[in-house]
Amino acid sequence: MANPVCPKDTADIPAQVFEAFLTSLKTAGISDDLVTRFRNTLLEERAFSEVSLKKAVFGERPTP
Amino acid sequence: MIKIESITIKEFRGIRNLTLNFKGKNFAICGPNGTGKSGVVDALEFVLTGNISRLSGEGRGEVSLKQHAPHVDKRNDPAKALVSATVIIPSLKKTYTVERSAKTPSMIKVTPSDQAATEIFATVQEHPEIVLSRRELIRYVLATPGKRNEEIQALLHLDQIEDVRAGLQKIANSMEKQLKPFETAATSATENLARALAISELSKEYILSTANAQRTILGLPFLADFTTTTSLKDGMSVPAQTKPQTIPKAQAVTDIRAAREILKEISGKLTESLVADVLADLNLLAADKAVVEGVTRQHFYTFGLNFIEAEVCPFCDNEWDVEALRTHVRSKLEHLKELSTKRKAVEKKLLPLITLLRKAETEINLLIRYAAMPKPAIEMRTAQEYVTRCNGSINLLEAFLPLADTIAILRELTDVPQTVEDAISRLEKEVAVLPDPSKQDAALEFLTIAQERLDVWRESRRKEETARAQAQLARRVSDIYASTSDKVLTGLYDDVQKDFAALYTAINHTDEKNFAAKLVPSMGKLGFDVDFYGRGFFPPGAYHSEGHQDGMGLCLYLALMRHIEGAHFTFAVLDDVLMSVDTGHRREVCVLLKKEFPNTQFITTTHDPIWMRHMKTEGLIGSQGAVQFRTWNVDSGPTQWDDRDVWTEINDYLAKNDVRSAAALLRHYLEYTSAELCHRLRCHVEFRGDAQYQLGELLPPATSRLRKLYATAKEAANSWNQKDLIAEISERDNDFSKLAQLSQVEQWQVNAAVHFNSWDNLTKNDFLPVAEAFRKLLAGFACPDCSEFFRVSPDRDTAETIRCECGKTNINLRKKT
Repeated sequence: MANPVCPKDTADIPAQVFEAFLTSLKTAGISDDLVTRFRNTLLEERAFSEVSLKKAVFGERPTP
Repeated sequence: MIKIESITIKEFRGIRNLTLNFKGKNFAICGPNGTGKSGVVDALEFVLTGNISRLSGEGRGEVSLKQHAPHVDKRNDPAKALVSATVIIPSLKKTYTVERSAKTPSMIKVTPSDQAATEIFATVQEHPEIVLSRRELIRYVLATPGKRNEEIQALLHLDQIEDVRAGLQKIANSMEKQLKPFETAATSATENLARALAISELSKEYILSTANAQRTILGLPFLADFTTTTSLKDGMSVPAQTKPQTIPKAQAVTDIRAAREILKEISGKLTESLVADVLADLNLLAADKAVVEGVTRQHFYTFGLNFIEAEVCPFCDNEWDVEALRTHVRSKLEHLKELSTKRKAVEKKLLPLITLLRKAETEINLLIRYAAMPKPAIEMRTAQEYVTRCNGSINLLEAFLPLADTIAILRELTDVPQTVEDAISRLEKEVAVLPDPSKQDAALEFLTIAQERLDVWRESRRKEETARAQAQLARRVSDIYASTSDKVLTGLYDDVQKDFAALYTAINHTDEKNFAAKLVPSMGKLGFDVDFYGRGFFPPGAYHSEGHQDGMGLCLYLALMRHIEGAHFTFAVLDDVLMSVDTGHRREVCVLLKKEFPNTQFITTTHDPIWMRHMKTEGLIGSQGAVQFRTWNVDSGPTQWDDRDVWTEINDYLAKNDVRSAAALLRHYLEYTSAELCHRLRCHVEFRGDAQYQLGELLPPATSRLRKLYATAKEAANSWNQKDLIAEISERDNDFSKLAQLSQVEQWQVNAAVHFNSWDNLTKNDFLPVAEAFRKLLAGFACPDCSEFFRVSPDRDTAETIRCECGKTNINLRKKT
């Protein structure tokens, strides 16, 4: 049988996806501020509501 | 993360008081349906997670954990329903006792209490997937792609990923929706500016050329460039405040014409047909009460999801389980998905109508401003009311709900009141009688209005650009997230599918050695296709048998668990899984579990004793790694085939002079043990395809077999010239022969008078020695030290030894060659 492909430790798959997302944002030239806000929201606060995500996208900027 | 040493269950589900010693090893619980196996599974899940999936899943209605987890006789005293377990945490190299009561399911008592253990038990609590039932197993395989995605996401704890994906997509959609009014406003402002400048197209050249023509009349300097701050009135003196404002005749005439055109469009055939189309859709939705309620609920749930962030309810401040509540609300939204699609389709059709109303609002507002210029002002109240109506209609159409209001608005949308036309006509008359301005006044009016509209245009463009930039940013972020998460998940599923295929091939290598599978994630769905004998990839339920599907479910679960938990996948309960898997493949499953998951403790339930024997034969469970439940009743719960308990029970019956019950129990016990003995001693028994063996077909062969084995052992010892051993085996053989004679078991086939069928007719005093004789006979099959029945090793091919569990009995059967 082929060697199982699995992590050595417990895999926090959401965290893996979020980290990859932050890297993709940086690569795509999205502002550092936005990336920092997303890091706080997704990985530190673990807040996933629409309100939290909207704040992460736009900061405190009001909509026009 | 953990392994379980033992579990004690009190007054819980169908169990009164039961302790099972797993010893941190694989363990099987076997018994007919309704003997309490699932009660043990429930207790394991409960003590580790504080929940019982079977009581909290879909369709459980009024069944609740608090009320129905306790034994039915203790339903009003949930504190008495207790489950405790001795748990080993390999990473800490320590053993803990954990306990929960049905009164406070969320509270776990950990002894000794320390931070590291508390954290590990909190993590275990978030992993209800450690218990896998056949119902759940098949869900991974046969579900629709959307449902499968949900199930596997829950197993992999991917719901957070899905939350973010859905949230970002919703923000992007919402920002694009919000952009529409800004675009409409900018378009109106462009049209109004072009109209004021009397040009067909807004270009730098046209604007400068037109403005400079008017500026020349006023003797103002030529504008060389048109930038973002250029004022068309640059250098023009501010009119004296005292001079009454006059209606700019030429512009007013143009604007009146534009307003009439838009009102004509509103009441025209095209709009009527658009309205009729949307109304037909809305009436269909509104005709179904469930749909109306569903659309309202969908709005409520979607809105409510935003507030499930803190650990307490914002209304009552009671604590809630954030993840459980989110999952619950999401499952409700999932059910309303079809409605959501219908709603979006109708909303799309509403957009051009909303744009039309916005245009009407803008155009009539211009006329209202003209009407306010003369003293006294021209009466335009009805036009103002119409503008207010347009504004209200836009808001209601955008809100969509309540449906009745949207329908009411649409029914009146094409009705433009005559009073509005009357007001416009009044203004038109007043404008018509205005004297034509001088060339200079006309130029002044022209530049003043053009500048006003240029300001409005610039502001509306700024807002439109800002809204567009935000919408683009939101969409970009959402797209980046979607592609990144798909990429990561594709990688993850790629790993899982490889592992899954390898595991599945291991149990089906004889017929599907080239098996392959595809797990394909896409926009909230997870496709799952499997190879069917090289004929292509199909859904698992398309051609594979039920047994193969069971195997796939287990392999997919194991592959996913190995991926999530890695080295921490140390415990799993397999509740009645693989019942559709045939004998040959079950052996392979045992080998797979033992070989591929050597550090995982599997607790398995089954109603099939043969399946349990496979587990023993293949070494998945040890000789003491199983319990066999024989009966269950509401007063005492499950009863096991436990030697000591059986003899005590038989004596209890006899004490009450109930020979019939004692005889029945003895017979059932002997049936169970003689099957076990035949299996262990590799007896020659007349084969029955239905596996329905009677006691007379099993116990005499088992007795003869042990005596023949002793004879073979003596011959072997003789060949090795082991005189002491010959003497020891002879003594064992003699002792056992006496026990066999005492029980008269070997006489059954020749002497019907001593046959077990006649036991029911014996008196208590006649039956007592019979029971005692069989107790001693069974003891003769067991090691005096460990009390385990002897077994022949190996279990196939040439018999080499007679052994017991503790190793004190180890009699050679092979002669010197």
